[in-house]
Amino acid sequence: MTPTDPTDGELDQALGRRPRAAAPAELRRRMEALVADARPARSRRLGRWLAPLGSACAAGLLVWLVIRPPVEPRGARVDMVEEAVNDHLRVVESTHPVEIESGGIHQVKPWFTGRLDFAPRVEFSGDADFPLVGGSVGYFHDRKAAVFHFRHRLHTITLLVFPADRLPWPSRGLHPLGPLAVDEQRSRGFNVLIWREGELGYALVSDVNLADLEQLAPRLNHP
Amino acid sequence: MPDRGRLAREALAHLDALYDHGRYLTRNAADAEDLVQETYARVLGAAATFAGGNLKAWLFRIQRNAFIDQRRRTRPMAPSFDPATLDTLEGAPAPAGPDELAQLRRMTGVEIEAALFSLSDEARAIVLLDLEGFTETEVADILGCALGTVKSRLSRARAALREKLKDHGR
Repeated sequence: MTPTDPTDGELDQALGRRPRAAAPAELRRRMEALVADARPARSRRLGRWLAPLGSACAAGLLVWLVIRPPVEPRGARVDMVEEAVNDHLRVVESTHPVEIESGGIHQVKPWFTGRLDFAPRVEFSGDADFPLVGGSVGYFHDRKAAVFHFRHRLHTITLLVFPADRLPWPSRGLHPLGPLAVDEQRSRGFNVLIWREGELGYALVSDVNLADLEQLAPRLNHP
Repeated sequence: MPDRGRLAREALAHLDALYDHGRYLTRNAADAEDLVQETYARVLGAAATFAGGNLKAWLFRIQRNAFIDQRRRTRPMAPSFDPATLDTLEGAPAPAGPDELAQLRRMTGVEIEAALFSLSDEARAIVLLDLEGFTETEVADILGCALGTVKSRLSRARAALREKLKDHGR
């Protein structure tokens, strides 16, 4: 509705600054699956007739999949970035983001014992530039994640540590960062660094400059 | 009769808006996810009843009804989601003075979100529906009230929000 006086205009501008959240990637996948099941009955009837032809095509596709050169799963890679950003937004928007306040990494890490089915490997205790605020338990896709909360000036930096298996890790276009090979992406105004070290995956997300995140990432396990 | 699959696919284009609105309605990301899922399930069930027009407004009406039902299930003793619970302020609000205007300009997104969350459910809903760009007719249809009452309710809700923002800005 059109503002009629300056107060309404200012109020509308202020309301325009309210935080907005996109649907989490997992919810989007569920809704897409729900919608996919809603195709009309006629299509399903046709599907029965086309099934034998489909089987033949599927067999051909299987052969092609075996002999084709490897291709990066682009959509899945984007999903990982979107999931990391959504997790970061959940931290930023949460009223009580920190479940264990930091007295240093040796206080935060043991807190995860019994809450996760893996031991998150993070050695960096935080410093004046990147103080460690605390930790919490979150989710990355279908698995639990250790969430470490760092600060840089007034910005929040979220580090997610999670089991790396069964995720579409990219092998090309990675950026060397000290001992790490990092996938650097930008989504919805946030910088996202994702990498794998052994059995664990790491995602570092924030609205700080990419250079600041690049400074922090290699120090997390190699301070 | 509308194609159920096509309607559902078109409805997916509004997923982010429904989730964001749901988050403000429920004040909770997990409940918002449940609400959106319930909304889409109802959309599929009611596709045959969609008579054309603004699909987004139709989706928001279904979401509102799902929210009311969800609240009745989880908080049966809570007051009903009724326009009568709208924050009451008598008369038209006075225009803001320079201090209030300056305060509005300084407000951060987090403060605005907190002020929205402190409104009653009904006041928050009508302010947000207005922000989504719905016409008064569409808002009336979504909220299930007469067209004539939308303007006064919106005005009262925005006045209540200004009061809350003053509190949050202190």
